[in-house]
Amino acid sequence: MSLILIAALPFLGALLPGLMIRSGRTACAWATASVTLTALIGLLVHAPAVMRGEVIQYQLEWMPLLGLNVNFFLDGLGLLFAGLILGIGLLIIIYARFYLSRQDPMGQFYTYLLLFQGAMVGIVLSDNVLLMLIFWELTSLSSFLLIGYWKHLPEGRQGARMALAVTGMGGLALIGGMLILGNIVGSYDLTVILQNKELIQASPLYLPALILILLGCFTKSAQFPFHFWLPHAMAAPTPVSAYLHSATMVKAGLFLMARLWPVLAGTPEWFYIVATTGLITMVLGAVIALFKDDLKALLAFSTVSHLGLITMLLGFGTPFAAVVAVFHIINHATFKAALFMSAGIVDHETHTRDIKRLGGLRHLMPVTFTIVMVAGLSMAGIPLFNGFLSKEMMLDAATDAAWNGNHWLVPALATLGALFSVAYSFRLIVHTFLGPKRDDYPAKPHDPGFGMWAPPALLAVLVVLIGIMPALMVGPLVATASSAVIGGELPYYSLKIWHGVNAALFMSIAAVAGGLVLLALHRPLDAAWIRARRPEAKTIFDAMMRAVTGAANALTDGLHNGAMTRYAAVFTLAVILAGSAAWFGGTNPAPAREALAIGPVPLIGWILLMVATVCMVAFHRNRLLSLVLMGIVGLIVSVAFAYMSAPDLALTQISVEVVTIILLLLALNFLPKQTPVESGSARRFRDGTIAVLGGLAVGGLSLAMLLSDFSQESISAFHLANSKPGGGGTNVVNVILVDFRGFDTFGEIIVLGIAALVIYAMTESVLNSPVGVWLKKRPINPHEAGDRHPLMMVVATRVMMPIALMVGVFIFLRGHNEPGGGFIAGLIVAIALVMQYMASGFDWATARQRYPYHMIIALGVFAAAFTGIGSWFADRPFLTSNYGYFQIPPMGEFELATAMAFDVGVFLCVVGAVMLALESLSRFAHRAGDRPSPYPMDIDPSRDLPQEAKDA
Amino acid sequence: MNHWIIAPVLLPALIAAVIILAARYQVALQRVFSVASTVGLLGISTGLLIESMSGRIGVYELGNWPAPFGIVLVLDRLSATMITLTSALAVAVVLYAIGSGWDKRGHHFHALFQFQLMGILGAFLTGDAFNLFVFFEVLLIASYGLMIHGGGAVRLRAGVQYVLYNLLGSTLFLFALGTIYAVTGTLNMADLALRVAELPADDTAMIRVAAILLLLVFAVKAALIPLHFWLPATYAEAPAPIAALFAVMTKIGAYAIIRMYTLVFGPDVAVTADIIGPWLMPAAIVTLVIGMVGVLGATHLGRLAAFAAVGSMGTLLIAVALFTPQATTAALYYMIHSTLAGAALFLVVDMVRARRLSEDDAIASRPAIAQNGLIAAYFFATAIAMAGMPPLSGFLGKLLVMDAVRAHDLVWVIWAAILIGSLIAVVGFARAGSMVFWKVETPPEGTAEDAAPHAPAAALPFVATGALVAGIVALTVFAGPVTAFLSDTSAQIFDRQSYIAAVMETPRAIEAENLPLEGTKK
Amino acid sequence: MEYLLASAIGAMTAAGIYLLLRQRTFPVILGISMLTYAVNLFLFASGRIAINLPPVLLNKTPTYTDPLPQALVLTAIVISFGMTAVVVLMGLGAYLSARTDHVNLNEGQDDSAEAGK
Repeated sequence: MSLILIAALPFLGALLPGLMIRSGRTACAWATASVTLTALIGLLVHAPAVMRGEVIQYQLEWMPLLGLNVNFFLDGLGLLFAGLILGIGLLIIIYARFYLSRQDPMGQFYTYLLLFQGAMVGIVLSDNVLLMLIFWELTSLSSFLLIGYWKHLPEGRQGARMALAVTGMGGLALIGGMLILGNIVGSYDLTVILQNKELIQASPLYLPALILILLGCFTKSAQFPFHFWLPHAMAAPTPVSAYLHSATMVKAGLFLMARLWPVLAGTPEWFYIVATTGLITMVLGAVIALFKDDLKALLAFSTVSHLGLITMLLGFGTPFAAVVAVFHIINHATFKAALFMSAGIVDHETHTRDIKRLGGLRHLMPVTFTIVMVAGLSMAGIPLFNGFLSKEMMLDAATDAAWNGNHWLVPALATLGALFSVAYSFRLIVHTFLGPKRDDYPAKPHDPGFGMWAPPALLAVLVVLIGIMPALMVGPLVATASSAVIGGELPYYSLKIWHGVNAALFMSIAAVAGGLVLLALHRPLDAAWIRARRPEAKTIFDAMMRAVTGAANALTDGLHNGAMTRYAAVFTLAVILAGSAAWFGGTNPAPAREALAIGPVPLIGWILLMVATVCMVAFHRNRLLSLVLMGIVGLIVSVAFAYMSAPDLALTQISVEVVTIILLLLALNFLPKQTPVESGSARRFRDGTIAVLGGLAVGGLSLAMLLSDFSQESISAFHLANSKPGGGGTNVVNVILVDFRGFDTFGEIIVLGIAALVIYAMTESVLNSPVGVWLKKRPINPHEAGDRHPLMMVVATRVMMPIALMVGVFIFLRGHNEPGGGFIAGLIVAIALVMQYMASGFDWATARQRYPYHMIIALGVFAAAFTGIGSWFADRPFLTSNYGYFQIPPMGEFELATAMAFDVGVFLCVVGAVMLALESLSRFAHRAGDRPSPYPMDIDPSRDLPQEAKDA
Repeated sequence: MNHWIIAPVLLPALIAAVIILAARYQVALQRVFSVASTVGLLGISTGLLIESMSGRIGVYELGNWPAPFGIVLVLDRLSATMITLTSALAVAVVLYAIGSGWDKRGHHFHALFQFQLMGILGAFLTGDAFNLFVFFEVLLIASYGLMIHGGGAVRLRAGVQYVLYNLLGSTLFLFALGTIYAVTGTLNMADLALRVAELPADDTAMIRVAAILLLLVFAVKAALIPLHFWLPATYAEAPAPIAALFAVMTKIGAYAIIRMYTLVFGPDVAVTADIIGPWLMPAAIVTLVIGMVGVLGATHLGRLAAFAAVGSMGTLLIAVALFTPQATTAALYYMIHSTLAGAALFLVVDMVRARRLSEDDAIASRPAIAQNGLIAAYFFATAIAMAGMPPLSGFLGKLLVMDAVRAHDLVWVIWAAILIGSLIAVVGFARAGSMVFWKVETPPEGTAEDAAPHAPAAALPFVATGALVAGIVALTVFAGPVTAFLSDTSAQIFDRQSYIAAVMETPRAIEAENLPLEGTKK
Repeated sequence: MEYLLASAIGAMTAAGIYLLLRQRTFPVILGISMLTYAVNLFLFASGRIAINLPPVLLNKTPTYTDPLPQALVLTAIVISFGMTAVVVLMGLGAYLSARTDHVNLNEGQDDSAEAGK
């Protein structure tokens, strides 16, 4: 079977359980098992070739740009691990079928399990480190789901998050390490990397890469000081613990160290980091395990300890130690998975995992006892079981290791670890199964059904078989896997029970004897342990997480507290600072233009403007006054435009000004008339400083600009030259607007149209909310003018209306050649219409208005767009104009350009938008009980005369 | 004459006008028009994308005026990619809006939505700096309306802030454009590129100011620190489909930075080289960190998603700030990814909110919601993508970015920021997800019957969100061909001459006599 | 003339910024309007100042003022008018809905107030 299929099968198969669960739990389990079994068979087909020393490869391009390719390879190490993952996985699937209760969503469980399995297979088969990283992190994610599987348990959720945080962190460090490694070698392909030992170890980046990669390995393999997540991951269902947290996932770190052993090992850095960490972990884990009363916790810490042992062996950096490491990986997987499953059986049957509540189960659960006995003795390192073999070899390897010139430290500590290992192993057996039968078990224990004990039993058989005839059982496998790890000649070693009388034998004897003594002294030691104050990893971790989360929250909410004033101040300061820095980093030549002389008119205008501006700031709390002052500023600006040769701008500015002021006045009708004093003097000083800085910066930039010249001729020379011949108009500004840059104008009228729509939609939603009800019911302010529609104004606006419309048409028509155009015309007409509203009231005017403003806006957009599209029929781009001259008798010669049709669109949009906006605003003024007045004005002398007077 | 280039701008504008004119009160009809328009846009932009693959740069001279005198639309691989991305997102978003009923909660949703699309697509296509401003305003004003769609006091107040902040941005844009015009005398981007390159060596201060002001304008859009303050409240308070659409809004800023600072103020333009990349980079790093810290610090899902968006912009801008072809490829890939993932995340958040009795999005335990499992799966997928965890495109994008920054001085800082940022985000997402989806509160006794969780029956929101997730998956699976195309794209971006030549290829003689212009050097 | 125009633009900018930093929507909107005046004048000034020159083609005059910035400013004025209308109405809507016209979402408490607590 192709390697990619082996890796992909579990992922593809992950879809099955969800579907098969509908056919029942057994069918679901069988479907899952068959997926794993197929993959396992596919793998074993390759076994003979791999045993012969061949390397099976598969390559597929994924992201060649990055060097990330779907490259797999299978060598001895890969075969060993993939076999463990799939083989034990198969047993776990069967076991879980009987372990999970009816309430547990089994389909989900198997889906997660297969996802995890696929990720693990992916790691061990990857021939591309980036691909491996993907699978690596996938194991973190899928184990997050598996640990949190019982999501109603807080321990499950917390354990899942803790595991994800710790292993996720390691994974991210690993990414960094792998990228550096790839950087050094120039390839992310593992087979290439493995051939570049000298290059890697000579690189100055070797140490950072090593540390980052080891962070990944240590977190995954629960090495000190990252070991604490593993016991908390035991909140997962026991099949998960047995699979992930003893046999496979935690070994991923070991796998990676073994995989990269040929290029990373052998340096002092490697030895001191890896071997030391492993040694500490081994001893620490073993010590803690002895004092755990929870069966799974005891096994978890024993796993930590054994992982430390293997790490230490890899850390020694000698070929012999590497072989021992490989051998112990096999042995540990067999006995520890069996033990976890047995612990699960005990838990399942007795409803407790507390050793102190157990004991005497030997007669009640003989099968389970036998399995635990076999596996436990192996774990203790008792002869005839496989654990003994690798432990002996480990002690042998330890005797060769010198720590900083010290030859006895490593062996002594290794023996100490073995000693505690013996102690907790025996405690597991003795305190759980031996001793008197009790009558206070939470449930009545008995051996489970065959399906549940068969998987651990099978492993126990393996433990014995390997223990008795290691060379026959696993000799070739150890050899091929080891040679893959070492990447060269295998050292001399022999897998047999009796190695003669050597140092390791004495250390082993000492360990067993010491362990038994410890077990005998367990009660007082335990009491002392409980009394001793130890740092509790979970408490520290939780406190750290709380602190980090709290700090993150404080920072986030503190920074983004919703204070617009601060946001605006930061914005302004950032702009001023960045702009100034850019300016002073460059050079500005001497002024190229001479300043124009200052005449008296502009000087007076300037003084007025300055006074108005200053007053506006000074009196800004009086909103009405500041609005008036703003109007004055706007007026001066438009006069300035007129003075500085921009009549179109002046007209536009003044008409926009009128509409804006009307709008603001109407809005002010509802808003408070005063702005309260809220800022202290320090704040005002700060704001004033920012304002002055901003003013200076902008003023300075303006001056520099005004006194400099274009670096090259402006494109407007073309506009001037082509306005008449190409655009058919002499008002170049208008021709630019409707022709040269008509597309800008198209966007601009759409902005206006949208503005009106937004205003309409917002008004509707406010009026349809409870606020609308409140608005309608609000009392009439007695101070409002009684005469809401004064006679004078009504008369004046009536007279002005036709005049204004005429002016509008005139301005519109002449726009192309003289100052004017659709926009200004639209505003003038809109103002005339607004006047009617203001004079006679909303309802009166609405009743006399036939076209909805929405429609006018839409028609405007259409007019503009279709004028533009029209040019397509002449095979010209959008908005290409055409023009001609026509005689309209009373008004003389007029030019009609297609641009004028476009301008009609502008006109319509402006009228529609302004009117819709004002109409929406006026709707706020509606009060319940307001009757639309049928009359244009409130006070009509003739209407208000007494009836008699009229009759007379 | 290939008129298709302007179709992405005209189609939504016309459809919006039709909706206002004929379907103002018929939501069903509006939906038909809106969906038809977005699907049509997707078709058109896909066609344009395929056309752009040839490598030929399409130029559309509006009004038949040659560049630089008229306005041009330019279709190159970059703009084609951006409009296709936008259209694809728009289809999913409009379907979600319809399925969730968001479009009925106020007036003019579909009209404003189409106008918004017009603005976004126009901004991607235009080759004129001032026209870019106009399209920015179109998309902004439509976004103001969409942001407050549905109303409500909190949303309105957040909306006012959003508008005010962006008005500042628009004002700044005009200052920048004025300065640019005053120095160079042109507005066309290709022409600007030519003229900036020819500036005298002693006259650099003004153009530097213009360049940096423009950068700040785009930085506001791109939510770069310290100009990102508009984003969290806006995204968190905006209607979900709109927040999802806004996922592409920040990308407009990134797009404009890429466009302007490779073409006009490119890395080889000496006068501005020291203030663009070198200033952008640290800001981008801080943006990344602040965003990811925000993911952890958020107390509401909406804000979590908003800060995830900020963080992803940080990552994106790190890649942008290098201004190398390789990094730009990474940036573009990450841009596509974060648009899809960010949008999906907002939709998932809305699904949770819509199903909660309390209708809130607090990261806290609540009674179980309907379809908890499926929504949790969506959340898991989008969270993985946003945090940059394998196997989704976020991880690949992150790797691309990290790979591209190798030669940079700050490589260790950047790597640390990206990796630690990811870790913080992972922890934040895990915390939020386990609180919201796992830690289910049992409703108090007796209320079980009447307190049945809201269960919007429509399948459309799931389809829409699923489509975005499928997009992420496709982006992952087809990462090879996608990055190959994006690599060509960034090669084209950095080949300034071909862009300039395409736009300025028709040097029509100035037909009439040259009139002397006041203020012009002769 | 140039000095007058530049100082006027600067003064209006300063006034605009100061009002922008106030805490109620109304003065903030007025501040933005002031900034709009300033930026319109600035954009206009990018064509440099010319007095008594027509942007309209006449046969008599030999020189013209730069028409392009005028067209740009016209567009800018229109757009900012639309924007102002929207923000005024939104501000009003927010005031009516929330019964406050404070621009800060954290209600009356901004950085200076925060620093004191």
